[in-house]
Amino acid sequence: MNPRALTSDILLGMIPIVLLVALWQALISFGYAPATLLPPPGQVFMRLVHQLANTEYQQDIAATLFRLFAGFAIAVILGVSIGLAAAASPAVNAVVRPIVRVLAPLPKVALYPALLLLLGFGHESKITLVVADALFPILLSTYYGASMVEQKLIWSAMAAGTPRRQILFKVVLPAAMPSVLTGCRIGLVISCIVVFLAEMITSTDGLGHVLVTAARTFQAVDMFVPLITISLLGLILNGLLQWLRSYLLRGFPEV
Amino acid sequence: MMSGRTLVSRLAPLLACLGLLGIWQVAALFLDTDSFPTALDAIRAIPSILGDKESLINILASLRRMAIGFGVGVGVSIPLGLMMGRSRAVASFFNPLLMITYPVPKAALMPIIMLWLGVGDVAKTLVIFLGVSLPVVFHSFQGAKAVEEKMLWSGAAMGLSAAQRMIRIVLPSALPEILIGCRTGLVLALITMITSEMIARQSGAGNILFNALDMGQYDTVFAMIIIVGAMGIGLDAAFEQFRKRLVRWSEPRFDLPLSFS
Repeated sequence: MNPRALTSDILLGMIPIVLLVALWQALISFGYAPATLLPPPGQVFMRLVHQLANTEYQQDIAATLFRLFAGFAIAVILGVSIGLAAAASPAVNAVVRPIVRVLAPLPKVALYPALLLLLGFGHESKITLVVADALFPILLSTYYGASMVEQKLIWSAMAAGTPRRQILFKVVLPAAMPSVLTGCRIGLVISCIVVFLAEMITSTDGLGHVLVTAARTFQAVDMFVPLITISLLGLILNGLLQWLRSYLLRGFPEV
Repeated sequence: MMSGRTLVSRLAPLLACLGLLGIWQVAALFLDTDSFPTALDAIRAIPSILGDKESLINILASLRRMAIGFGVGVGVSIPLGLMMGRSRAVASFFNPLLMITYPVPKAALMPIIMLWLGVGDVAKTLVIFLGVSLPVVFHSFQGAKAVEEKMLWSGAAMGLSAAQRMIRIVLPSALPEILIGCRTGLVLALITMITSEMIARQSGAGNILFNALDMGQYDTVFAMIIIVGAMGIGLDAAFEQFRKRLVRWSEPRFDLPLSFS
């Protein structure tokens, strides 16, 4: 893609966002929405900048990020290993498949009350909820990726003398990597969403808690700030994952 | 022999359900605390919830909101996603906006939307609509992008207009991918439904669940978890049947386990 087309793409993509902000401002300027219900965008962004410099708000972000990373990391480790095992061994597959079919479509948020009662109101229940939600997309795409690996690759590796134990990590995992990373991307977005929701339901810190506190006291400005923050966090994390992807998948024909 | 094996694979999800309930029962007996009733106690509490007229109305109201939100979401998102997949201008117009809004939990918009639209059906349905549309848009986009160019060229050469090509070539060939998006959307709709009702406690299944939690009626909490879980599994299974019927022609054959172990 030539750089000129790229800039025009970016410019085109800016239009709806600019329009949205303009519409937002217009609703206030022409008096359709009172500022208590819809604060002007300028005020929200000033507040966001102000809050980002505030240590208390930074601690809330840190709490959210900690839960997000802990949950996501556990989900990646579990998802990739169970997915690989299920693709490699028919016995594991026979056990895992029905359990996944039952658990994957279950709305995990409904389990949250049970997790609260069992694990308490601290980090554990929230991290478990994130794991439960992010696990299945990663597991399923690892499984599909690993079962689609070309048999010829495995035969050639075996003919070249690779021990059977190492084939899983030297051939199957690298070949399934694009699919695994796609699953991770979905899992990451879901982790962002779920950690925020869990904090909204019960928490004493974190971005979700900031939103709920603002909603209870009808501080419309403070309700927008955590939402914009989680959106920014999602964008940054997604960018990092994209970078990791292009690093891990160097040499693949089309990324 | 073969029919015996298919019978086992049919029953496997059921066996998994029973196994999970069994683990729950053992764990509850082992832990023996008030806040964690046994599976049997929770199952015994189900009839009293489903028999109660008010909670039945609540659950049906939830399902109605979900159906409307899901229907409208799918109806809007598929055309949008297909157009994004076929036209680069449309794609680059909407992509950044969607990227920004994807990681925002849609149910977290609930408090703000409630300020504008009140706690009624409109706010909750809108939130479900928002939750459903993003995955459906993304998958339709991916599906439409991967359509074989040659088929479109031949279609154009045989005199199909742009709109006809969209409906007769792009839509069917993107259908498997679109339906994957719809399946994700269905699960998300259920999640958003529960959460929105938890935030605006006025009616619905989420309302019963979290009110019971606050009042310490743990049997009801766990019975509602079973009901909501069964809803999720049932809807997913029904959708899977529907999907299989529509896209049987495109089923890949990747169910063979790898042969090196």
